Amino acid sequence: MATESTVTAPPTAVERPRPPGSGLSIGLARAGWYISLTLLAVVVLFPIYMLVIRAISDPISFINAGQPLHIVSAQWDVFSRAWSDAGLARAMGVSAVATIVIMGAQFMTSVLGAYAFAFLEFPLKKLLFAIVIGTLLLPIEVTLVANIQTVRSLGWLNSVQGLTFPFLATALGIFLIRQGFLGLPRDLRDAATLDGFGHIGFLFKVAIPLAKPVIGSFLVISFLSAWNQYVWPRNATTEGAWQTVQIALRTLTTTRVDQINLAFAGAIIAALPLVLLLIFFQRQMVRGLTAGAVKG
Amino acid sequence: MSGVTFDEVTKRFGDTTAVENMSLEVADGEFMVLLGPSGCGKSTALRMIAGLEEVSDGMLSIGNRVVNNIPPRERDIAMVFQSYALYPHMSVRKNIESPLVANRANRLPAGERSERIDEAAEVLGLTDYLDRKPGELSGGQRQRVALARAIVRRPEVFLMDEPLSNLDAKLRTQTRLELVELHRRLRTTFVYVTHDQVEAMTMADRIAIINDGHVQQVGRPQEVYDRPANLFVARFIGSPPMNTISGTVGTSGTGGNVATEAGVVAVAELSGSRAGDEVVLGVRPEYLKPRDPSKDDPGAGGLRARVENIEMLGHERHLLTRVGNEVMVARLDPALPPPSIGDEVVLEADAANVYLFDPSTTERLGSGTSTPTATVVADG
Amino acid sequence: MSITVESSPDGATKRTGQRVREALLGWAFLLPAMAIFVTFFYYPLYRLIDMSLHRENRFGTAAPYVGPSQLVDTLSGSDFLEGVKHSGLYMVYTVPLGILLGILLAVAANRRLKGIRVFQTIFSSTVATSVAVASVIFFTLVNPEVGYFKDVSWLSLSNPDTALFSVSLSSVWQNLGLTFIIVLASLQAIPTEVEEAAALDGYGPVRHFLRITVPLISPALMFLAVVLVVAALQAYAQIEVLTNGGPGTSTQTLLFKIADPQGIRPLGIRASMSIGLFALTAIVAAGQYALLSKRVHYGD
Ligand SMILES: Nc1ncnc2c1ncn2[C@@H]1O[C@H](COP(=O)(O)OP(=O)(O)O)[C@@H](O)[C@H]1O
Ligand SMILES: [Mg+2]
Repeated sequence: MATESTVTAPPTAVERPRPPGSGLSIGLARAGWYISLTLLAVVVLFPIYMLVIRAISDPISFINAGQPLHIVSAQWDVFSRAWSDAGLARAMGVSAVATIVIMGAQFMTSVLGAYAFAFLEFPLKKLLFAIVIGTLLLPIEVTLVANIQTVRSLGWLNSVQGLTFPFLATALGIFLIRQGFLGLPRDLRDAATLDGFGHIGFLFKVAIPLAKPVIGSFLVISFLSAWNQYVWPRNATTEGAWQTVQIALRTLTTTRVDQINLAFAGAIIAALPLVLLLIFFQRQMVRGLTAGAVKG
Repeated sequence: MSGVTFDEVTKRFGDTTAVENMSLEVADGEFMVLLGPSGCGKSTALRMIAGLEEVSDGMLSIGNRVVNNIPPRERDIAMVFQSYALYPHMSVRKNIESPLVANRANRLPAGERSERIDEAAEVLGLTDYLDRKPGELSGGQRQRVALARAIVRRPEVFLMDEPLSNLDAKLRTQTRLELVELHRRLRTTFVYVTHDQVEAMTMADRIAIINDGHVQQVGRPQEVYDRPANLFVARFIGSPPMNTISGTVGTSGTGGNVATEAGVVAVAELSGSRAGDEVVLGVRPEYLKPRDPSKDDPGAGGLRARVENIEMLGHERHLLTRVGNEVMVARLDPALPPPSIGDEVVLEADAANVYLFDPSTTERLGSGTSTPTATVVADG
Repeated sequence: MSITVESSPDGATKRTGQRVREALLGWAFLLPAMAIFVTFFYYPLYRLIDMSLHRENRFGTAAPYVGPSQLVDTLSGSDFLEGVKHSGLYMVYTVPLGILLGILLAVAANRRLKGIRVFQTIFSSTVATSVAVASVIFFTLVNPEVGYFKDVSWLSLSNPDTALFSVSLSSVWQNLGLTFIIVLASLQAIPTEVEEAAALDGYGPVRHFLRITVPLISPALMFLAVVLVVAALQAYAQIEVLTNGGPGTSTQTLLFKIADPQGIRPLGIRASMSIGLFALTAIVAAGQYALLSKRVHYGD
């Protein structure tokens, strides 16, 4: 992410025998693809590149130098200043705590809810399922004004409860994991019944281990949406000490122009957890993001 | 001590009746095969014994206990599934151990557990694979793990639902023998579901043939082959199946005959039918052969047939012919020169091995009962 | 001699006991989720309606009942309609462009070339940005004081005619990673036999793309449309970071007016606008549902 990746075209290695005469045109086509891909990559990466050099450059000197495409008067300590002086450390901590609470609770409520809908029979099942579906029409943006009143009257502004409670359960998690549970072979469930597993035993010893891929995908989604939240924490916090990192970023953009690179460095710091996630869990992340969009 | 008794058991799924008024007694220690075409209700019957399906009507007992309302894990049964239903995330050892630990209430002490696992693994030749996951085993090995998981709990009744159908032909033959051996050794009740009559004939002490949710006949393999209760059983048991053609009874000399659209067939035993009765005549392929053309005797009767195909099976030949509107198969002596496709031949049935069926009830004439027998025929 | 199960009193009680236990377990498992759903999804809907029927006095000390007039006035008022217009424009700016760019990137990167993974990673990279991070990134590009493109007139944040479009580009860029990943995955899910059969049928590349590829990836494109429309309706951080609603009110989307960071609208008005947003969300959802069930080709 830090530098613009220039990709050198590979040697025109022949992968399989080509009919004579077409070698040149295939080589040209391939070069054409590399050129197009590189141009697209430059377009995608340019904003990130600008962020990085702007974060490191002294803001005033950079503007005075006529906004070049390279670093001007490097301030390498900008990251440590953003981390400690500008309060990002605390904001990252608040974000981390809120994210962990949300993920843990969503895991629990979704798995239990999914299990009930997939494997249990009980009165009012249809109605309760409709209640779950109905929440899809009531995103936090719609209910924001009223929920803030609720949280305020509970005295939960500027608290972990206030930051997390509306997100401790989610219809998406219940749906996704229920699908995963329903995908378990019927024979396997029957075998478990005959073996003598009760519902709790079956849930923990069989259903959850076998639904791991789906649960993993859901946890990726859960992490992304919890970490990236903006509208709710913006309204549920009034004190700087309770700002999540996303909110702290906005605050930093309102600082003086000669300090503006603190905001840019902050953006890099705030993105780091997701960058690490993308590097180490790329496959799960792709599976999570495409869950529901692409079959197979 | 623990046979299984169906007493007028019915199972309905909404509007579908999967099993209707089923009465069947499986004796203690018996190897009973439930045989029938796909969708006939045999799995449903088995799953009711297991407790995986509730009984809609009637009474189901294991041993002396009515189990209609006993949950599966208290029924003292074990089941082997067609798909094996192994837990993919557990080692073979954990899979086999599962029935011993899943139910906290009656969990065995660890020492006895591992003794039992080792014993089951020993019996099924799995000792070297205990630490593998099911995904690392061949189909045959997985099947053995499923068996081991069943025997480790030492149940009163073993239930098996088409356990061999995912194996290749060779392994299936071998495993058939091993299952019979296992049964001989354990001496517990086996209820085994299959649609494959060869499995049924080779393994069963007795076979219950089921069609459309109803038991058609219960009996030892040779018995259902030799004395099928009705047309369904006659056509279902035996490969190639019994030939049938409808006709009218006539009398002549000592025995009788049946006149069909393709000729007259001599019958040794009229089984109580009288001249003029409409019947369905049945004859197995091995008792049907083309008359030697050199000894042609126009007055002798027989079925006029046209040869449509000849199947070479090595040790024998099947002559596929068209007789009137029916296809009939005759088993040919490979020593004799076969006719050619398209030839007109006359098929002669062995008069002593011809069956007559009532066309309205489809029952075999002279089978002794007026309703399809589902009651126990005393063993021996 | 048929014994029905229900006539056996012992069995009947046992069965009932099991049923009751299962029902209790089901409700217990759903209880935590339902508690959240009721408290933070359904109760606020009731609260919004209630709040829209009351009007705060100037000092916020009392809110007498005023009936539906406030709701009606708000939803037909110019402030609300301007918010709807800006939110709609935001959709128009971001949804088609986002899908087209996603297809462009995915088609370009869906081939066997050495090093293609590098390009695929680059094209996915914007999923590592939150809306807030993407907004700060675009701050470096379009901020009127320090942005790299501050003198490019069609990207100007100081001009009411271009500001909303300029802000929307940050969403387009931020969504690239997601759209790319989804379109690429759906392209790769096309069975090779289908591709081969089409090649044998002799389609040229363009007709092949329009006649074979697009119909086959249409479920993914619909899904993307849904995601992008919803994202546009919910756009907020970009606006607060980049323009704070200005210049004037030219970048105030509906949600921006509801969240009301400057605190200029009374609670009853904001609640009324929330009900409007709810209605829009429902209409969008219904429209998408209708489209989804009609036009999209689903494989078997
Ligand atoms: N859970 C069920 N719900 C509805 N119908 C079922 C169910 N299980 C079986 N059936 C129906 O009952 C009949 C018998 O099924 P089954 O016992 O599985 O047949 P078999 O094992 O002999 O092939 C079939 O018509 C089948 O469709
Ligand atoms: Mg079956």
